[in-house]
Amino acid sequence: MSLEQHAIIIILAPLVGSLLISLFGGLHRRLSYLLLVACLGISFASTIATLRLVAARAAIGPLHYYLGDWPPPYGIELVIDPLNALVLTMIAGISLLVAIYSKEMARRDNPDRLHHYYTLFALLVAGLLGITASGDVFNIYVLTEISALASYALLARGRGFAYYATFKYIIMGTIGASLYLLGVGYLYIKTGTLNIAELPTFINSSGLVDSVSIRVAFILIMVGLWIKMAFFPLHGWLPNAYTRAATTTSCLVAPLMTKVSVYVMIRVMLGVFTLPYIYHVMGWNRAVVWLASLAIVAGSIGALAQTNIKRMLTYIIVAEVGYMVGGAWLGNAAGLTGAIYHIVSDGLMTACLFMAVGAITYKTGDSSLEAMRGVFRRMPVTAALFVVGALAMIGIPPTCGFFSKWYLIQGGLVAGHYGFVGALLLSSLINAVLFFRLFEIGYYAPFDTEGTPPRGHGTTVVDEAPFSMLMPLLISAVMIIVVGLSTSRIVSGLIQYSLPAGL
Amino acid sequence: MKKTALLIIAVLGILLLRAAEDLPFWGDPQSPASVHLSDYYLEESYEETSVPNIVTSVLADYRGYDTMFETVVIFCAGITVLIVLRRTHRRRAKVISPRPERPGADIILQTAARLLVPMMQLFALYVVAHGHHSPGGGFQGGVILGSSLILLALSYDIQMALHRFKEKLVLLFSAGGVLLYAAIGLACLFLGRNFLAYGAWAALLGISEPEAHSHGMLGVEIGVAITVLCIMFSLYIDLASGGDLDEGL
Repeated sequence: MSLEQHAIIIILAPLVGSLLISLFGGLHRRLSYLLLVACLGISFASTIATLRLVAARAAIGPLHYYLGDWPPPYGIELVIDPLNALVLTMIAGISLLVAIYSKEMARRDNPDRLHHYYTLFALLVAGLLGITASGDVFNIYVLTEISALASYALLARGRGFAYYATFKYIIMGTIGASLYLLGVGYLYIKTGTLNIAELPTFINSSGLVDSVSIRVAFILIMVGLWIKMAFFPLHGWLPNAYTRAATTTSCLVAPLMTKVSVYVMIRVMLGVFTLPYIYHVMGWNRAVVWLASLAIVAGSIGALAQTNIKRMLTYIIVAEVGYMVGGAWLGNAAGLTGAIYHIVSDGLMTACLFMAVGAITYKTGDSSLEAMRGVFRRMPVTAALFVVGALAMIGIPPTCGFFSKWYLIQGGLVAGHYGFVGALLLSSLINAVLFFRLFEIGYYAPFDTEGTPPRGHGTTVVDEAPFSMLMPLLISAVMIIVVGLSTSRIVSGLIQYSLPAGL
Repeated sequence: MKKTALLIIAVLGILLLRAAEDLPFWGDPQSPASVHLSDYYLEESYEETSVPNIVTSVLADYRGYDTMFETVVIFCAGITVLIVLRRTHRRRAKVISPRPERPGADIILQTAARLLVPMMQLFALYVVAHGHHSPGGGFQGGVILGSSLILLALSYDIQMALHRFKEKLVLLFSAGGVLLYAAIGLACLFLGRNFLAYGAWAALLGISEPEAHSHGMLGVEIGVAITVLCIMFSLYIDLASGGDLDEGL
């Protein structure tokens, strides 16, 4: 098999893995876990191989993989360029970490049907990877359905009102997907093609550039994707659905789902409609950046009001979606670089924070602010890694969170959009308040350990989360710093090539 | 809330109406969708795949990758319903209690069902196999097969249908159908071609490439039919009994 076959193995490994888990996972307690880790490991190895391949030929052009050997536009193709190679690596890496992390927690949360839980886990990852690798707008829809369906099932398997929260998400998610599909339908009827590489020339041809239905298609696709990524004010479904979910589910879904929708938005903007069309024909980029600024402020203020750490993190996700949408719509190189870089860095930060909170919940059975009491003494490693994630979220160098904010703010300044810059700075400030409050509770607040008086010294027993949880958490924290330190390589070696020429 | 909804619907309606003015006329042979790709499929597909039904060749070959994931969507939906409804460890008050007393078995219904079920299944197999030449294929045939089992469960009861087709087997085959699809594609990969390039089978089977495409499509259609059959039945038994598989509607 040639090296290019890695492109399809990325998607097939979790797909075939999920089928095997469903067939054989019930036979033995540990088998489904091992199968999951194995198939995601293969997928991750393939993304690394593809990333190297794409990076080596970044200046030449993207990697095309024709499914069924049918050349586009007659068949479907996967197109891997530096942009989605980066996102694919992020998705495969984080899902592998979460899979390893799920060893103890998933078994506790799923006393029955663990293998079906893992089947859906792998299907969700297969869907997300497929969306990212695809070069066909309808294929993206089909794979969105898979990842969405799997995420509904996983989220519904949570606590308390999880069913109700998920039901809301199903309604919103279905509306979002339907709007996207309707938009794709209009594009097809006006251009006759679904291939992303072919669409821009049709759309920008003299016959179609003024077409009303193409504009309507653009609006429908954008609004559909905004619902999917929980862009303010369409974010109502997210906090409840993600908070109520079981730990492993939220660790998987929170860092990946919204980020993939942001990726699709950027792909549609750059690859299907192209920036000149969006800025000159549509011309509401400033309004969208204002909306993004509002999303950042609203998400941050929402996070301030929460008394549950997980819920607080979900509001931070809403704010972070504002970062990426705003950066992409600024329409300059720095803003787009920031938005693309932030997809990766936000994925890592969110994964690190959710896994740390999950480890604390695993030990205390609670995810309220009170659960943080004494955490630095009881779970020193988890707490230290939580601090790394939090510092990244605030934007302290050398974590990757600092560099994405750097590019985004630079983009805001170049575009002269000071509202967006102000919102970014305000959000950093609020994040600092949020996380230092948690550190304060964790470090100073009195806490009980059986029998010892509060503020007791020396008697506290260190009670860390199991190794299978700490190891992925550690890797995610290290990656936050590694990605931060290799920012210039990522930007000049990968992201630079995915920006449209002449920007 | 209602006013907001009305406003959103009105805005969406205006958008769609504005767009509709701009769309090509119904059945317009000069519309972009009819001239860009259709000509190629109409002229080349029989030569390339030896399947006269162009819908089938587009669905199962040119866009076979999409169709595989459509089958995965169906599989995923089945597992979703299963994982939500069919939980073994739980305390759940019967939502539909008390259920009406079941009147005794209806002999007319049961006899009719017994006559119909084999015919339906035979016809379903024809629909699957004849998808290459006439409307039909794996999805349609699978649905007919699934409804034959549902008819059995409706006219007798779920227990009886489950006795004929155990739940374990249902789940096994639902994954097996998708796996068959993926395996046919993966084999092409190991034979040195791209995923789902059925032409790779030609050398192995000793037939021409177009014939290999035709056979490949038949194989994946059978996979689709198996998955659709099993998921249809699984959805019915889980939904009708609230996940307990004790009694149906």
